[in-house]
Amino acid sequence: MKWHSIRTKVLAALLACLLLGVGGILALMHYSCERNSRIMANESVSGAEKLFGILEAREISKMKAVSEVLLADPEVRDAFVAKDRTRLNGLAAALYPELKKEGITNWMFHTPEPNMAVFLRVHNPGKFDDHLNRYIDAEVARTHGIVTGNELAKAGFAARVIRPFHDSKGGVTGYVEFGEELGQFMHAMKKRTGDDYALLLSKQFVDRQFWADSSAVWKRRDNWNDHAGFVVADKTTDSERIIQFDGELTSVPEDGKVLERYRSGNAVFVRGIFPIHDAAGKAVGAMFVVRDISSFYLAMKRTERTLILVTVAALAIGIAVVLTLLTSLIFRRLDHIIGVATRVVGGDYESEIQVSSDDEVGQFERLFEQFRRVFLDVLTHVPELQERR
Amino acid sequence: MSQLYDLRVRIEEKIKADNLNAMDVKGKLGLRSGKLLALIMPSTADDPEVIEKLKAAAKEILNLSL
Repeated sequence: MKWHSIRTKVLAALLACLLLGVGGILALMHYSCERNSRIMANESVSGAEKLFGILEAREISKMKAVSEVLLADPEVRDAFVAKDRTRLNGLAAALYPELKKEGITNWMFHTPEPNMAVFLRVHNPGKFDDHLNRYIDAEVARTHGIVTGNELAKAGFAARVIRPFHDSKGGVTGYVEFGEELGQFMHAMKKRTGDDYALLLSKQFVDRQFWADSSAVWKRRDNWNDHAGFVVADKTTDSERIIQFDGELTSVPEDGKVLERYRSGNAVFVRGIFPIHDAAGKAVGAMFVVRDISSFYLAMKRTERTLILVTVAALAIGIAVVLTLLTSLIFRRLDHIIGVATRVVGGDYESEIQVSSDDEVGQFERLFEQFRRVFLDVLTHVPELQERR
Repeated sequence: MSQLYDLRVRIEEKIKADNLNAMDVKGKLGLRSGKLLALIMPSTADDPEVIEKLKAAAKEILNLSL
């Protein structure tokens, strides 16, 4: 290969274009893939947070409606006013299985302030007369209105509705409370989205004994010592990867945060986190969300490969076309001129340069042919040549 | 007879012996040495520079040591 030839230089330039093109597409596709993964991860976090909010609002609304119906039941009201725990439990126990089927796992009656103790736990009738001292207890006693929100109790972290219970004269005789475990929300969310979730509670807001008691009530392993700063309330997968987190749960941004993208086998996942607030508005925990983006990611990779193949093929065809054009329009004609010029110098005075076009090379061909004729005319006047003729 | 003419004769013999295209080869030698072979006659005066150029061209193009 002649490194100084135009053909080599053009070929090198075209190959450089090919490399730049492929490199550019690779960079663009990588950027696009990363950007779309990030958008998808952000959407999975914000979508999960929204879905959680919707489910929370829907369930709280349901529990409000149930409490409304219960307030209108004179038998329940009379039994509670009379503080007849056995009768009240008999009446509530008949309803509880139906409510439980609908997700209501916690049902309590509380005595009025100032004592405000648990009068009856329908879901755990053997345990009563204890004081919970939660935010929602103080709030319902202060307002005598409906108080809602997420609150931790011995039966776990749940979305709760607590409201005053009135006697026939309108006086507050106590409070009734319904609750739904937030863990249930995650399983409902998984059914809808296919994503995996894990609910974590910051240990600074959970009492150690409280957690041990709730674990016993729900017959689950006491996992308090599994992690340093938080406890896992529930999760939809057996994988531990979902709950890997080094930061403080209470410092998770309000809009949530994407933590990472990772591979597991052939699958690609994105993982994020958003805060969970209690009834007082404190971020007491967080929910992790993991979305499988394999189909999207692999589709992007396929597109990337296709684009590279198409680019390489297109540029290869382009290189072939450019080289063919250069050969037929320039190089072959220059070779012809060189050949004729050489033969004329060698004594072949009959060879002519054929002007094949009116382009730039054609103009050179014409000039060279004119030059050849002048050269021959000069030669005819050279005495040595005249002698030989 | 000049040395230049002697070179010309030996070159033409080589071309004939190898059955080469005379016009092509002579053209190349002429361009390389800067001297038209057709103009080299027995009476042509020797020019050391042209002689060296022609020898170098013959070596390169015909592999002929003169």
